[in-house]
Amino acid sequence: MTEALTPILIDDLAVTYGNHQVLAGLSLSAPAGSVTALLGGNGAGKSTTLSALLGFVKASSGRVSVCGIDPRTAPDEARRHIAYLPENVALYEHLTAVENAQYLLALSGGKQDRAAIAAAFAAAGLQERGWDQRLGAFSKGMRQKVAIAVALLREVPVLLLDEPTSGLDPRATADFNALVLAVRGRGTAVLMVTHDLLGAAHISDRICFLECGRIVQDVAAQGPERFDVRALHARFAAPAKGLAA
Amino acid sequence: MNAAALIARDELRLMRRNRVAVIASALLVLLTLVAVASSWSHQRGIEDLRARHQHAAERAFDAQPDRHPHRMVHYGTFIFRPLGALATFDPGVDAFTGNSMFLEGHQQNTANFGDVNQSTLLIRFGQLTPAFVLQTVAPLLLIFLGYGAIARETERGTLRVLMMQGATRGAIVRGKLRALGMVALLVALPAFLGLVVLTATSGAAILPTAAIVLGYGTWLLLWVTVIVLVSASACRSRDALLTLVAIWAVSVVLLPRVAPDAASVAVPLKNRLQTEVAIARDLRRLGDAHDPDDPHFSAFKRSVLQRYGVTRVEDLPVNYKGLLAIEGERITSALFDRYSGASHAAQETQNAMVRAVGVVSPAIALRSLSMAAAGTDFAAHRGFLEQAEAYRYDLVQRLNRMQADGVTYADDTATDAGADRRKRVGARNWEAMPDFTYHAPGGTALAARALPGLFVILGWLGLAAALLAFATRRMGERR
Amino acid sequence: MILWMHEARLLLRQRLAVIALGLLTVLTMAALAAGMAEISRQRAAIAAIPVAQAEDIGAIAAWVDKDKDAGSAGYYSFHPTWDTPSPLAFAALGMRDVAPYILRVRALGLEAQIYDGDTFNPELALPGRFDFAFVLVFLAPLFVIALCHDLISGEREAGRWRTLAALPNGGAALWRRRTWLRLALLWAVLGVPFAVAAAISGVEITAILAILLLILAYLLFWAGLSVLIGRLRWSSVANAASLAALWLVLVLVLPTLGHVAINRAVPLEQGAEIALAQREAVNHAWDIPREKTMGRFYASHPQWANSAPLGAAFHYKWYFAFHQVGDESVSDKVREYRRGLESRDRIARGLGWVLPSIGVQTLLTSMARTDLAAQLAHRDHIHDYHRRLREFYYGYLFRDRPFGKADFERAPQFDEES
Repeated sequence: MTEALTPILIDDLAVTYGNHQVLAGLSLSAPAGSVTALLGGNGAGKSTTLSALLGFVKASSGRVSVCGIDPRTAPDEARRHIAYLPENVALYEHLTAVENAQYLLALSGGKQDRAAIAAAFAAAGLQERGWDQRLGAFSKGMRQKVAIAVALLREVPVLLLDEPTSGLDPRATADFNALVLAVRGRGTAVLMVTHDLLGAAHISDRICFLECGRIVQDVAAQGPERFDVRALHARFAAPAKGLAA
Repeated sequence: MNAAALIARDELRLMRRNRVAVIASALLVLLTLVAVASSWSHQRGIEDLRARHQHAAERAFDAQPDRHPHRMVHYGTFIFRPLGALATFDPGVDAFTGNSMFLEGHQQNTANFGDVNQSTLLIRFGQLTPAFVLQTVAPLLLIFLGYGAIARETERGTLRVLMMQGATRGAIVRGKLRALGMVALLVALPAFLGLVVLTATSGAAILPTAAIVLGYGTWLLLWVTVIVLVSASACRSRDALLTLVAIWAVSVVLLPRVAPDAASVAVPLKNRLQTEVAIARDLRRLGDAHDPDDPHFSAFKRSVLQRYGVTRVEDLPVNYKGLLAIEGERITSALFDRYSGASHAAQETQNAMVRAVGVVSPAIALRSLSMAAAGTDFAAHRGFLEQAEAYRYDLVQRLNRMQADGVTYADDTATDAGADRRKRVGARNWEAMPDFTYHAPGGTALAARALPGLFVILGWLGLAAALLAFATRRMGERR
Repeated sequence: MILWMHEARLLLRQRLAVIALGLLTVLTMAALAAGMAEISRQRAAIAAIPVAQAEDIGAIAAWVDKDKDAGSAGYYSFHPTWDTPSPLAFAALGMRDVAPYILRVRALGLEAQIYDGDTFNPELALPGRFDFAFVLVFLAPLFVIALCHDLISGEREAGRWRTLAALPNGGAALWRRRTWLRLALLWAVLGVPFAVAAAISGVEITAILAILLLILAYLLFWAGLSVLIGRLRWSSVANAASLAALWLVLVLVLPTLGHVAINRAVPLEQGAEIALAQREAVNHAWDIPREKTMGRFYASHPQWANSAPLGAAFHYKWYFAFHQVGDESVSDKVREYRRGLESRDRIARGLGWVLPSIGVQTLLTSMARTDLAAQLAHRDHIHDYHRRLREFYYGYLFRDRPFGKADFERAPQFDEES
């Protein structure tokens, strides 16, 4: 695979906020059709990694590229290839699910015909009676489904997820995981920031542990059963040095 | 210390820590001081100027040489409206009414040289006076400091924490009221102190000052109550802020402008040209002194001749031309009074309509209260105009009487070279004419005129308090 | 285009936005209607002049015709002058409610007449008029603030900011689009009713366009301020509070301070002094030899110097002459007073460059010809007319020509264009 086509490529990335170094030489790459989980304590630099991919933060050194595009110099170009779901997917509560999808698609320059949206909603598992309801009454899981449906419609090569399953009940988590695997099946590179080691172990091809702004452990696996969950958990649950510092 | 006092102390500490709030309050106090100082020096300047002009006008009148009395009727006199001491606090309509008036025979002149006619249109943005600061600016500062008082706690969930720690809803509301009330007091203090110093040094009556202090105190208290009420009813502090700013804009800025416009459409005033033409028409109907066959003046002549038992005006012991002048002035003045009375009544009706809107917008009620107590409202101006007219009539008739008694008919009608000399009366007569003294309404009268406005604001305060009591009971129920 | 449609749908689904736009529409239309009603009232009053005037002059002519004395005719005839509102006056009434727009003058001393006011209720004038200028200068900024204060902070507080920012078209272009959309709607709500009202009133198209641009510029200023405050990344509440505070300072406090400063910097005490001095000069004529007055009059009016000398009896030409001499004796004071007024006006205009609120008000009133400058220009017209009027009567008085009924119709008419 050529570098230009690698969906997510981070090379020796360093980011500082003021005097505080958030990322210190982080390197990570994710190929198409993969799920990568990013784990770590608070302040380990997980969200900053996503921000760097979205072009929100400036690297003090190192390189970031999304499908060969530097998101800092060409943010709109890079974001054309990215779908991003924040921890709490907040959409416009006074618009219906379909209207929200239409609006987000319009902003991403995608097509907005109702049939395609309906198909995506169905694929995302959103009940048909909710399509024309205002979003005010939607649960987090339902709102996520709307956002995933938009991501599906956009057919982007990169999907960034920030704590997608926190606050979801087990049933919704299972639905969501199935959806992520479906997205992976379409050749999308999924990067998921999470606290949920067990959930991550289920669907990830690879789990990276972040501490003090760099990856301290990188576990590649073909299936959840290959992870030594207990050992990882012990390490993960131990007081993070980054936090103590 | 009870719960309410604790909450008040906490709220005040929060305001003190808010740099913007402290700067804003300091600026407001500064603005009030600037307003007090500039208004004071402005009014003093006006007062001195008017007193000087008045003095000069009186001296000039007294210093006139020997004259025919009717010349003096046309020489006339200038009067300048003196300002009450409280005009410093609220100059009211002073800038819009002329401050000098020329009084002469058979003519009712307008008051001229009002500030508004010699200022730029900046004056239409409002005048920087203590009254303006307290009426318009202070409520907005209270809004900025107080909109979040309860809404903030509701939004962040700290309201429930407070309530769980044993603070009753009533205690929380009382505490917030007390804290914001302290700020209101701080805001009003410079203006009130200025007012008290003014009253003490100028010998102004106590009662109007008391009415003003009471009125503005109630006004600010009303805002404190409304702010806490809205803050307690809103779910989010932003909603509280937008609602309060909207209430302020409508009641303080919008309605006071819309109501006068509506009133002036509802009760149109006759303009000067139409009035003058109508007066001239009525005069022609009543009698034309120039017309020898005029029925009214023929009858007048007959009755005069009859009274003195003579057959010719030349034989009268008094100067008939003087008597004619007295009669003419009597007729024209009666007409002037009737027309100006009608115009004033129409203006009173307009003002009454605006005051009626004051029931909806307490800002209008406060404005009327303030101007009434300061003696700078339309009613006070009307009082001045009426006194001026009474003085004018008296002066002109004294001069006409002087013509009747002091100049002979033969001299008055003569046209020979020396006649002009013989027609004149001695210059010492002018000093004997009384000077105009404006009798300002007494303190009790001013205070009484301020009462309706005070009642309206008190009524609003009562209503707001009742609503707040209701809102307090429901506080914290939602979410 | 499709993006704009989506943004419009998004905005118009918000209750606050709909209420705000609706309210501003109602206020704009009400202000325009109020202004147009006031101006049509003023036009009607001006249109009613000839009838009233004909009645008045007719009665005077009837008895003056007996003696054919030009002096009596000149002394008793009041001649109307008027200041027809410009087509645009409805939008900014300016000083028209307190400055007389109808004034009747006689050929006697003008300085004793020209400062006379018309009937108006001072308590109604005090708070200022509810006209389009008020809605634009005072109220429109509040609506800009209401719609723009939470443009970005609101999305951040709702948790949508990162979602939007992560979209390819969700960056600066989105916020620009949203700001412009709000501006365009506010502009339409203010501008469309204004343009319709102006077209009905017969305002020139260039003036309409200029004012539409002025409206946009003023809205842009406030939107720009909102964007600047928004950059500080404060909360929506803090944005709203600081913008409202700025509004208070820029629209209410600074203009009042400016008024105090201007009147302090350019003191004007001459107004009443002109009246006092003119009246002394006029009345003094009774106490000095009449020839002295006539000499002074002929010096400035040589064309009448060959008039017959005065006899022992009263002659109106002397009376008119000393009135004119009285006017001339205060001309220095009048010039000084005028200079004072003009420099006050100049400073206020200068302030307009610094304070947009004053700038817009100044521009509107000057385009509508309802400001101090227009008032002074109107006074100049009255001066010109008064001169023509005097010369008309002089032609009879100084040549001892009889003044008959027909001569009343020959009197010059006030002409605003001259």
